[in-house]
Amino acid sequence: MPPRSDTYHETRLVERFRQGDANALSTLFEMYVDRVFGYARHILGSREDAEEVVGEAFLRAFRRAADYRGDAPFHGWLFGITRNLCWDRLRQPRLLTLPVDVAEVVENDEPARAALQADVRRALAALPEDQRDVLVLCDIEGWDASEVSNILGRSLAATKSLLYRARRALRHGLTESWKEEEQA
Amino acid sequence: MRCNKITELLDLYIDCELAEETRARVDRHLLRCSECAFEVRSLEQTRALLRDAFPSAESSPAFREKMAARLLEEFADQLRPEPIRSEGQWSLPFLRENA
Repeated sequence: MPPRSDTYHETRLVERFRQGDANALSTLFEMYVDRVFGYARHILGSREDAEEVVGEAFLRAFRRAADYRGDAPFHGWLFGITRNLCWDRLRQPRLLTLPVDVAEVVENDEPARAALQADVRRALAALPEDQRDVLVLCDIEGWDASEVSNILGRSLAATKSLLYRARRALRHGLTESWKEEEQA
Repeated sequence: MRCNKITELLDLYIDCELAEETRARVDRHLLRCSECAFEVRSLEQTRALLRDAFPSAESSPAFREKMAARLLEEFADQLRPEPIRSEGQWSLPFLRENA
C-alpha cells in the first residue's frame, strides 16, 4: 500500500474518478492490483481464486468510491474488501479443496527445498487468521507496519506485537512438525 | 544489557529498527550470549524460510488487461471519454489518446 506521501495523490485520483475521468480509474487499478493480488494469492494459495477475489474487490471498492463523499482512503477499502473476500472464501466448504501444500506448489526441481517450502506453508496455514494476515503483509509482502496497522484497524504497537507473536508461533509450528517427523 | 532486555529488542533488531547505539549494544551482547544469538538466528531463519516458501506473486498481464476493461465497462455510465481539465491543469496528449 502507498507510503503516506502518496495518499494525497490517491485522494486526487479518487476525486478525478468521481468526476468521470477514466484515466484515474485505470491509474488506481494499476497502482494497487499487484499488491492486493500478492496478499490474496498467498492467503488463498491459488492464482485463479486470487484473481476472482481481486476482481470483485476492485469492483466493490470503485462502487463505494463512486458513492462515498468522505475522504476515507481508497486503498483501505480495497484491502478491507479483499481481506474479507479471502477469508469468506476460505471458510466456505468446497467440494474440492486442495491441501495448501499442493495448491501452491512452487515450481522447484529441488525436492528437499520443495518439502521445506511445503512445511512452511502448512505451518502458516495452521496459524490464526490475524497472525497469517500480519505475516503475509509484513514479512512476505514487505509492507510497512504502520500502514498494515491502519489497514487492520489496530494501533502500531498492537500490530507489531501481533507480528512478533506470529513469528514465534510460526517458528514453534515448524519446529514441532519437524520434531514429530524425527520421532516417527 | 541483560538477556530479558535483549529479548524485548530482538524483533526490532532483525527489522533494522533500532537506533545505531542500541543496535551496537545488542551486537555486543549477541557475541557473548549464545542463547540470544540462537534466538536471533532462528527468527531470521524462520522469516527467510517464509519468504522462500511464498515467492513474489504478480497478477498476469492477461488478468490485468481483462480486469481493466471490465472496470471501464462497469463504470462506463459514469466515465467521460476525455480527462477533465481543471483550471491551470493541462491535459497531456498521451492521456487523451488513452482515455
